[in-house]
Amino acid sequence: MPITPKPHSALLIVGHGSTENPDSSTPYFDHADEIRRRGLFKEVHCCFWKEEPSMREAWYLTDCTDIYVVPDFISEGYFTQDVIPRELELTGPTTTVRGKTFHYCLPVGVHPSMTGLILRRAKEVAPDIDPANTTLIITGHGTGLNQNSTKAIRDQVDLIIASDAGYAHVTDAYMEEQPFIAKWDELATTPNVVVVPFFISDGLHSYQDIPVMLGIEPEVGPAASQREVFRHNPYHLREKTLYYSSAIGTERHLADVILDQIADFDKELKVRS
Amino acid sequence: MSPTTFLEQSLANGIHRIGQIEVRATGSGFQLFHADDLALVDQPDHGLTVHHDPEVARDISTYSEDGTYRFTKGQTNLKRGWIMILDSIDDTRRALDHFYPAALGLVAAQRDGTLQIETLREKLNRQTGMYRFARNISDAGAQQLVQEVCGPAHQCAKWILWKLDAETPLDDSEASRFRGIPGNLPESEAIPLVCREACNHFVAECRKVSKAEHAAANPGG
Ligand code: SF4
Repeated sequence: MPITPKPHSALLIVGHGSTENPDSSTPYFDHADEIRRRGLFKEVHCCFWKEEPSMREAWYLTDCTDIYVVPDFISEGYFTQDVIPRELELTGPTTTVRGKTFHYCLPVGVHPSMTGLILRRAKEVAPDIDPANTTLIITGHGTGLNQNSTKAIRDQVDLIIASDAGYAHVTDAYMEEQPFIAKWDELATTPNVVVVPFFISDGLHSYQDIPVMLGIEPEVGPAASQREVFRHNPYHLREKTLYYSSAIGTERHLADVILDQIADFDKELKVRS
Repeated sequence: MSPTTFLEQSLANGIHRIGQIEVRATGSGFQLFHADDLALVDQPDHGLTVHHDPEVARDISTYSEDGTYRFTKGQTNLKRGWIMILDSIDDTRRALDHFYPAALGLVAAQRDGTLQIETLREKLNRQTGMYRFARNISDAGAQQLVQEVCGPAHQCAKWILWKLDAETPLDDSEASRFRGIPGNLPESEAIPLVCREACNHFVAECRKVSKAEHAAANPGG
């Protein structure tokens, strides 16, 4: 659904960020840049929990009095339900804080249009293989702490199965809970396997921990291998052909999902600029 | 006042520096470069890498020359050797927002009297996960840490606006006295960098100190 241009509003993309790994916030800035180029908002900014500018500083980033806030997170959970509202002083979907009105949208990862993004990523990483001979595995962290992130992945699996993408088999898998990504070859029913990590940014999970679990990296070493791991596709391993993609959030079209969340917000609350 | 208007007015009033960056209005646009490259800029073969995209500011400012991650952009180890030539005040402000996140808006609000400052205790009490323990740091430990982590002697150019808590100002020190302008420029020529809340690096250091304090108070366990 196309979004109504908002020439008087600002967009605030909220990410987690990291005190040690600046790569982790690159996707957020890329998404901001992509949206900025489309000229839909007066201003587009990012803010973070663990990087500058902080969420508390976000109020000072813009003099727009109408601000859309989109959490660039893969699921609802502690951050989107507790930390972000507390930091931005939001009390509901629309909150006015010292003269500025914030519209709080849902996180990108729960939007149905993520499905298209996953399929696009899977095609990009393995362009020449036939989905009919391929298992698509969407993988995440999976812990007791945030059941929502597991649910977000399961929802995507269901949506892809229901779509006409034609994959022989689609399944979820996790680092820390059943079904385990380390057993990818047992989960896969086909000779080809595509694994897409359901994270916003590439960090230790996607370029180190999961590759070790998949068996494409020998052991947890220095984080130096970084993006190298995505460049050696396909991997011939455990009698299968494995294609491993970078984190879904690094996909340029995630910018469209951010805009989709805003369009949905407007539809729900009939906010019009 | 909007951050962009604030920048425009500041430049019109003779301001030409923020942090380590020299800002010049050229008539047709704006130039940004490292203040230490001032002597090079006007030479025909200045050897500086020329950029026109304000987004490049993020790449320039992420790591220092020796490859260390700049934990706060307030650090005085910004890379040299580049010049940004920008067409508009909006692009200039965008670049500055990468070099010094929110800095223009924070100072504009400070001057307007609308800046809300966050005490160290407030910041620490909001930490989650492994950083939760940071809140146990003693006042003395925190005062000491300011003098070991902040200020120009430790490569941070920010003017600390916060207190430990509403009643407890920072002890007098070089760090607490510093007013956010590196390079000895007068206030009439530079926009200061302000620290309205302790940075995450400081929080991480608080956690270390509070762990050490806890260990010292509970020997053997
Ligand atoms: S807490 Fe200290 S080191 Fe961190 S940004 Fe503020 S002044 Fe600089």
